[in-house]
Amino acid sequence: MTLRHLRTLAPSLVIPFWFITVPLLGACRGGEPTPQRHTFIDSRDRYDPRSLDPALSTDVPTGRAVSYIFDGLTRFTVNANLAPALAERWDVSRDGKTYTFHLRPGVTFHDGRPLHAAQVVHSFERVLDPRTKGGRGWPLYPIAGARDFAARAAASIRGLRALDDSTVRITLDTALAIFPKLLAMPVASIVPDSVATAFGEHPVGTGPWRFVSWRHDDYLRLARNPAYWGGAPKLDSLEIRIVPEPSTSVAEFEAGNVDLLYVPEAETDQWEHTDDKKALLVSAPALRLWYVAINCTRGPLRDPRVRQALNYAVDVKTILDRLVGGRGSLAAGVIPPSLDGADTTRRPYGYNPARAKALLAAAGYPNGFAIQLWVGQDETFQRVSQSLQGYLAAVGIRVSLVQRDNSSAREAARHGDTDLILKDWYADYPDAEDFLNPLLVGANRGVGGNVSFYDNPAVDQLVSRARTTADSTQRATLYTRADSIAFGDAPLIYLFFYNELYAVQPWVAGFQAPQIFNGQRFLDVTLSGVAAPDSAARDSAGAHPSPRRP
Amino acid sequence: MLSFILRRLLLAVPTLAGVLVVTFLLLFIAPGDPVMEMVGERADSTTVAQLRHQLHLDESRPRQFAAYAGGVLRGDLGTSFITGRPIARDVAQRFPKTLELAGAAMLLAAVLGISVGVITAARPNGWLDRLTLAVTYLGISFPVYWVGLILILVFAMMLHWLPPSGSGGIAFLILPACALGTRSIAFLARMTRSSMLDVLGSDYVRTARAKGLTRRAVLTRHALRNALIPVITVLGLDFGSYLTGSILTETVFSWPGLGRYVVNAISRRDLPAIQGSILFLSVVFVIVNLVTDLVYAGVDPRVELVAAAK
Repeated sequence: MTLRHLRTLAPSLVIPFWFITVPLLGACRGGEPTPQRHTFIDSRDRYDPRSLDPALSTDVPTGRAVSYIFDGLTRFTVNANLAPALAERWDVSRDGKTYTFHLRPGVTFHDGRPLHAAQVVHSFERVLDPRTKGGRGWPLYPIAGARDFAARAAASIRGLRALDDSTVRITLDTALAIFPKLLAMPVASIVPDSVATAFGEHPVGTGPWRFVSWRHDDYLRLARNPAYWGGAPKLDSLEIRIVPEPSTSVAEFEAGNVDLLYVPEAETDQWEHTDDKKALLVSAPALRLWYVAINCTRGPLRDPRVRQALNYAVDVKTILDRLVGGRGSLAAGVIPPSLDGADTTRRPYGYNPARAKALLAAAGYPNGFAIQLWVGQDETFQRVSQSLQGYLAAVGIRVSLVQRDNSSAREAARHGDTDLILKDWYADYPDAEDFLNPLLVGANRGVGGNVSFYDNPAVDQLVSRARTTADSTQRATLYTRADSIAFGDAPLIYLFFYNELYAVQPWVAGFQAPQIFNGQRFLDVTLSGVAAPDSAARDSAGAHPSPRRP
Repeated sequence: MLSFILRRLLLAVPTLAGVLVVTFLLLFIAPGDPVMEMVGERADSTTVAQLRHQLHLDESRPRQFAAYAGGVLRGDLGTSFITGRPIARDVAQRFPKTLELAGAAMLLAAVLGISVGVITAARPNGWLDRLTLAVTYLGISFPVYWVGLILILVFAMMLHWLPPSGSGGIAFLILPACALGTRSIAFLARMTRSSMLDVLGSDYVRTARAKGLTRRAVLTRHALRNALIPVITVLGLDFGSYLTGSILTETVFSWPGLGRYVVNAISRRDLPAIQGSILFLSVVFVIVNLVTDLVYAGVDPRVELVAAAK
């Protein structure tokens, strides 16, 4: 997934005036009204979810919304740990290929239908069925026969069977230790066995929140599911507001109209250095890497010394501090420090222009060369790219910036048409595999995520061995080795792991910043000191209409 | 009159056909791939190929165009690649919000702009006229998103009078309508003023004054009506452009209108959504222009509705 999606074209047009206005907005405070409502309002989404159908969840707003309404067999906690969800427990066969999931008894969907094992089979078939046109079958491909089913070469999925009402047996092609994590992705959520044609508009799940109403590009309203198996949420209702312009979300937060805010990167300093604002900040390291993909198949970039030189040439620390509000930690590999397999003793390349020049000279480019750096339309990315251009110029590499909309930039990168492209990678599941495999494995070159076109059989082999290794310590060792080899080959300019920074209203209790995008489901969050009834000033049928059924 | 309307509507058909062809061609020249947007950051080439096939993106362009145009002729704008929702319904959901905002902005512009124009024209070069000139100069120059942010800052955050953004009752409409209307107010005020001054210097106004009509009667009954003709052109054009989406205003005020829909569709390369909404907006534009012409005829008796002359 990518946060690049979070910014559409229009906000980028607003940017030049943002700098003028934001300090003014910041100057205005005081007289914070207490909210007259029982609804928690989130302002993080910059664009409308794609759909509320789990099978279509390929971006962050969609995945987050789906995770409120639905459950998978497993789930992620706020700290990005794996926990049981609709599967109360599971057994793994000795060869690691067969998983037997035991469903939690007594779970019902929001419309009262009971959960049973056949729905699990149906849900997964639905994701893989080409007629769904979801485009995200890969988390289920490890299941034996899943690819055949997706290609319509088989009528059912060989490795997927409901043994009885409460047991599902899944057989994989090869052992895969991370498989339960793949099942916690929104796309693997369990849906009822017959769904309406407009299911994406009127979803019915088993999750903590049931669907109430959705006005596209405006808001999505959910109400607590009092029968939630994990204990009903403490709040009455949850509203997701779609606020495309970051400075507007700041204004809404300052006016007390929303409870949760993504602090824009450009405003970090201002929030961190104002006492009453600082008290509202909550931060968490996100499983998100910022990097420059170096296309290892193009011109001088084929030489690893050149790629190392690029890493030495850039003062990442200064970029992080000055342009990203210091929100992150320098990367010395692709595995975020909180995940198993991260080698926290490995040192980043570090800023060493002399070394960069020496490496370039050794590679036969004492006078540097000309190169293109691609960047999408995100404002912070554009500023970082300009800074990269400056640092590389200082060692003789003449960078021309190619600014395109995200869609064009991504397409060019996937086709291998970019020398360098500034990107980020946001984890779908908390495992080193979700960084190593898409970003560095040869089989994933291009559309699979490896836009460095890095192809090193030694790395491929280590990652594929790790995938089948059941022992987590051994697996972590394999990950570390793969990451270390790739780090030496420098298929990326390793920038940093990003920290999310949220502002939370003082009347909110129980909010913890999630380390993975779908880790916070607002079960324990409360609004304190809120007594008056919901004013429901904004239109629609009010905050608690009865649920619509398909 | 009816035959005029009919002819104009018939003439719109080739225009819209042109829009259809040009939009289609532009989308294929432009880089970016809807399937890449559907699958997200991590995918596999089999899925991509399968989706391309299912969405008929692997067919020849003339064939794709024929299929699309056929759908349009049957009244089917198709289904969004990204959301799976019918385009017609998406557009129908958002258009009332766009209409609401555009209508409010235009109303504000017409009432304020024309009044200010008339008042300043009544006493040209007075202090009020000079002040208005300066203010309208700023009004035309300030970009709408900046005006929007300033309005949010002052009226929502400092004074707490109005909500910063979102949509709902009339309170949510005021700030975006002011932001969107600012340029039109300023422009209409200047336009009305100069047009009024032109008219006030003309012979028939002098005659009207000579026959003893009051200053007020001359201004409103004789001068204003004639001065309004160029003003209506501007009103019509502005209204048309507001109806076809006010992207920046909608973005700053989180207003769920068509402008954001189109921009989102473009940034995700959602081909049917782009084509469908552009086609719809073209129809709106054609209708607004037609209505403007009809209003002309109503205001100016010299205008005859002869389609051939257009």
